[in-house]
Amino acid sequence: MENIVFGIGITALTGALATVAGSAEDTESNIGSQGDPNSQVQLAPQMGFLHRIFNKAVAGEPPAYGLWCALGAGLAWAFMAMQVNAILAIVLGCILAVFVQGVYATTAYLGRTASLAKFGQPVYVDIIKSMTTVTMAHAFIAIFCTVALCQLINGALGHPFPLPLLALIWGIALGAAGSATGNPYYGKERQYQNQKFGAGVPISASGNIVRYAEAGERNSIDNGFFTHKIGGSASGICFGLIVFLEIWRTILFERIYAGWGAIAVGVLMILIFTVIDRYIEVWARKNYGPYTVAKEADA
Amino acid sequence: MSVKIEVIAGGVPHDKIMIAGLVSTIVCIYLTYLNAFTNTQMFSFFGGLAVVAALIWGSHTIKVLCSYGIGTGVPSAGMIAFGSGIIAMLLATKFGMLAPIVALVLAAVIGLILGYVSNSILNMKIPAMVQALTEMAVVGAFTVMGFAAMISGGFTFTGLTTSTATFLGFPITSYANSFIGGGLIAVAFLLGAIAIQHPFNACLGPGWKQDRMLMLTAECGFLSMIVAAVMSFALISAGSALISLIVAIIGWLYTYTRFFEMSKRDAAAWLDSKPIPDTEGH
Repeated sequence: MENIVFGIGITALTGALATVAGSAEDTESNIGSQGDPNSQVQLAPQMGFLHRIFNKAVAGEPPAYGLWCALGAGLAWAFMAMQVNAILAIVLGCILAVFVQGVYATTAYLGRTASLAKFGQPVYVDIIKSMTTVTMAHAFIAIFCTVALCQLINGALGHPFPLPLLALIWGIALGAAGSATGNPYYGKERQYQNQKFGAGVPISASGNIVRYAEAGERNSIDNGFFTHKIGGSASGICFGLIVFLEIWRTILFERIYAGWGAIAVGVLMILIFTVIDRYIEVWARKNYGPYTVAKEADA
Repeated sequence: MSVKIEVIAGGVPHDKIMIAGLVSTIVCIYLTYLNAFTNTQMFSFFGGLAVVAALIWGSHTIKVLCSYGIGTGVPSAGMIAFGSGIIAMLLATKFGMLAPIVALVLAAVIGLILGYVSNSILNMKIPAMVQALTEMAVVGAFTVMGFAAMISGGFTFTGLTTSTATFLGFPITSYANSFIGGGLIAVAFLLGAIAIQHPFNACLGPGWKQDRMLMLTAECGFLSMIVAAVMSFALISAGSALISLIVAIIGWLYTYTRFFEMSKRDAAAWLDSKPIPDTEGH
């Protein structure tokens, strides 16, 4: 019984860490225009829409966060093998991982912008200076929380996988959660605020992203500020729920039929979520309806 | 939506880069074997140099492959390179001193099969596919092997899975505290997989320049070498790890500043806190 209570406590803690990680990850990727909204930022200068948006996609979010988290964990593991205190080791590992992330971000922005020289897109040095540090700060929170939750799973719950491997798996899950939950809000709502709601992105509007703000020109920190309220929180809840429910079902039900109980509960949860998703989809279609008027999309 | 890119000619031909990359990678990996002869770990940094050489070759292969309009497939090209390469590398480490040669042959066979499957069975029909996947599997195998040699001081299977720690004054064999047992191989996998795809992914577009992309590859390689050197402090002697770290930092600083200069050279304009320039019609 005490084991279960201890396990549930750790589960709650990992869930909380995961929520913070998910929120920070989505904001970081939105400030850097990573994930699928990146293609429109990349396309904009080619369609004649020069902009001051930071464009630092290193890869898709899942592989990129797989690397940052695995790297943070690998370095933390190495520091712990050198008898450094676990918390200090994780912090040091994450600082170095964030350094790598920052360097990748600057080279991605420079490389992409320099290759768009034909279309007149300039390199803005002030963007590199101000945005890279902001993404690094958010990335640090995301990586630290993920590596810390992996250390809890490994150390407190006794998971047999080594720390870097766990961080690789949860890092990819973190990137996937942020990419799937947060990106539509940035890509379709923020970048295309000038289009009719629900219109999607018609071909004629390709690359015509919002480049001007209420006053002056929009930059990526405005985008991070905007998307953090809903996109960031939704990503946080998404990743938090994934981590919490995953560990919760393992802790409570793994003793039933030698582990099969946890698997059965997992399948049951998938079924429940499928029903909920279907209900929301039907409800949304009924309330907002299909987007039918093609002419308005061109306007 | 991906940007359609045309095959861009010019620069050093690919075959030349491939042969230079292959030879220098094998030579650098074998130079780490000096560790065994001299009974030190001082030559581990050659593993990192092998990584840089292999990545330069690999990123140019990705450029050749992805010039056929595979815009969003660039990161996945890095993943398949390492996914296929790591199998060959792990098996090859059982062959002792012959490991790099066995890894080369095995990876080439795996890559050839994958290339055949994707081109002929999945009907992708991309002219460069078979050769590129073969090359990338070899690059993947060599890169992980280079990281292994750099972090743990050797590339034999026993060396990668065991380490000797001292417990209460007695030497004990530990499996958890090793390159594979500690999961550092997962870090090496992703360090290489991101570093190999990033240069072309970052530099693609109409203004692509070969020297700028390859300089970025070298920068990514040295950057990965820096963190790998920090991790190697756990498995090899502090002095040897320090040599790797210093070599990596010098290489990274040089390539990073050179990449900045080249970007400045190629960019349309280099502005600080300036508004969006006016363009016609917008």
